[in-house]
Amino acid sequence: MLKMNHLSKVYRTHMIETHALRDFSIHVREGEFVAVTGPSGSGKTTFLNIAGLLEEFSGGEFFIDGVSVSGLGDDARSRLRNEKIGFIFQGFNLIPDLNLFDNVDVPLRYRGFSAADRKRRIEENLARVGLASRMKHFPSELSGGQQQRVAIARALAGSPRLLLADEPTGNLDSLMARGVMELLEEINRQGTTIIMVTHDPELAARAQRNVHVIDGQVTDFDEEPRLRVPENGRDTVATTA
Amino acid sequence: MEFRPILSALMRSKVALVLIGLQIALTLAIVSNALFIINQRIENMGRASGMNEADTFMISSLGFGAGYDVKNAYAEDLATLRGMPGVANAAPILTVPMSQSGWSEGISLTTTQQNSDVGVAMYFIDEQGLDTYGLKLVGGRNFTADEITHRDVRSTSWPNIVMITKALGERLWPGQNAVGKQFYLDQEKPPLTVIGVVDRLIMPWPNISNRSGDKNAYEFSMMVPQMVPFGLQTRYLVRAEPGRVTELVKAVEAKLAQTNTSRIVREARTLTEIRAECYRSDRAMLIILIAVIVALLSITALGIVGMASFWVTQRTKQIGTRRALGATRGNILRYFLTENFVITTIGLALGAVLTYGVNLWLMQAYSAQRLPVLYLVGGMIALWLLGQLAVFGPATRASRVPPAVATRSV
Repeated sequence: MLKMNHLSKVYRTHMIETHALRDFSIHVREGEFVAVTGPSGSGKTTFLNIAGLLEEFSGGEFFIDGVSVSGLGDDARSRLRNEKIGFIFQGFNLIPDLNLFDNVDVPLRYRGFSAADRKRRIEENLARVGLASRMKHFPSELSGGQQQRVAIARALAGSPRLLLADEPTGNLDSLMARGVMELLEEINRQGTTIIMVTHDPELAARAQRNVHVIDGQVTDFDEEPRLRVPENGRDTVATTA
Repeated sequence: MEFRPILSALMRSKVALVLIGLQIALTLAIVSNALFIINQRIENMGRASGMNEADTFMISSLGFGAGYDVKNAYAEDLATLRGMPGVANAAPILTVPMSQSGWSEGISLTTTQQNSDVGVAMYFIDEQGLDTYGLKLVGGRNFTADEITHRDVRSTSWPNIVMITKALGERLWPGQNAVGKQFYLDQEKPPLTVIGVVDRLIMPWPNISNRSGDKNAYEFSMMVPQMVPFGLQTRYLVRAEPGRVTELVKAVEAKLAQTNTSRIVREARTLTEIRAECYRSDRAMLIILIAVIVALLSITALGIVGMASFWVTQRTKQIGTRRALGATRGNILRYFLTENFVITTIGLALGAVLTYGVNLWLMQAYSAQRLPVLYLVGGMIALWLLGQLAVFGPATRASRVPPAVATRSV
């Protein structure tokens, strides 16, 4: 699903060069749930930005779903992002002046779906996150957990193959965080590949695989996905290479 | 297009929407009406007088002393003027077009009509007047020398023949030949018969059409075969040979002063100068209105630029999020252009009502004409374009917001 080989990212100013990622290699397979951990400033967010085509990289190779990202223009990257990747942000990043329906509609409009298709997808995904009855509400009328659920619905509405989550529970209390995490696990069980950046070891432990990043390099990498037994004990997911 | 979500988002920023909408509405109302007024003024200023303006000038003399004979002065002066080298012709006059001073009368077609509804400017001329003014006779005939009489300014009697303009003939007898027709200046006295029709001769006060319902009222003029001195004052119109008017003004002043020392020669003014003076206030009005339009459009454009810039800065994270969710730079650019189009359209809808409100007020207070729809439509298109132009810079800046902004915590 996602493959980076010897990737590097260098931020240059007229005075200094900062190596955010160096010789960074990772291979995330279809259907995996990977947690990327590491201390602040280690390069987690840079990795996520590059993985999500939000930033360009300086060197190496990067493939998404078998497509080489090198050399893609800005519009092509936007289209690829829109079609294959869903984003969940730490701060939810909902648009405050749009109601939930219109918030979920944002990526679908860029995709060019018909109005009827968009409506169906919005309603389905808001129902999936348990907010079907709040479609006309605005983000400010929801709790943090509910807002993150809307963001998840928005990320899923375009049926992406890959979900990138940047500290998805970072702004939530433990109860809400647990609810969001369970939702992500359920989404993963239904086949969506998830890469989650977190510095919370407890959350990371719930992923199938952990990638630890320090100073822009992968220092610890579970090569084979672990068997994960969800807390309710009903589902057992094992994804192999 | 994202009209509905943009509109619903704008409805949550009502203060900004109302302020910029009102500004656009007010600009449309003032700019549309001002452009209409400007166009009317330009049209008025460009009206042909019907006479030869380039080669003519007016000159007066005021006799003094008990022995000053006005009739004799007319005869001597006209002979002198017509005999001068460079003079194509000369005629006794009372006034000229655009001089803002003259004589007017009301016309009646019957002896029973209570009030005349046609005001007419009177041009007192002799048989050379038609040629000196440079008027074009389009029907009937000119006066003959034996039809010219002297008139005391206090006299109430009128000759029984006149010439009129084509516009006046059409007003009095629509679709008919005016030659041979009769009307009354004084219902107690015999009617006057039209013997000739000239193509055009505008009034001394050409802006009269602004106050009259008839759009051609400024051309309602009549030529009377009389010489009318005001006391001891005589006035002549001199037509120079082409290109010699400046030279002749001085020569004629000197010649008239020399031929009769019992008078003061004064008021030598070319028709070019008279026209310039007549429309001086119109030109001043044009400058003021153009300045107002430029100022208003600039303020509105700056307001749009300011608001759009503020919104781009305020929404940087939101723009980054949209980019992260798949918006191309073009999508972001179009979003802001569309948003401005929606705001401008709301402002223009209100402005259209306000425009005709202002026009109605101008009609009632200043007898202005009804604003043609073309000016409203033109104003709306101009403001739509201005809005798009003004927002293009901030929108381009918005389109350059990188998608990685979405993951930044500050």
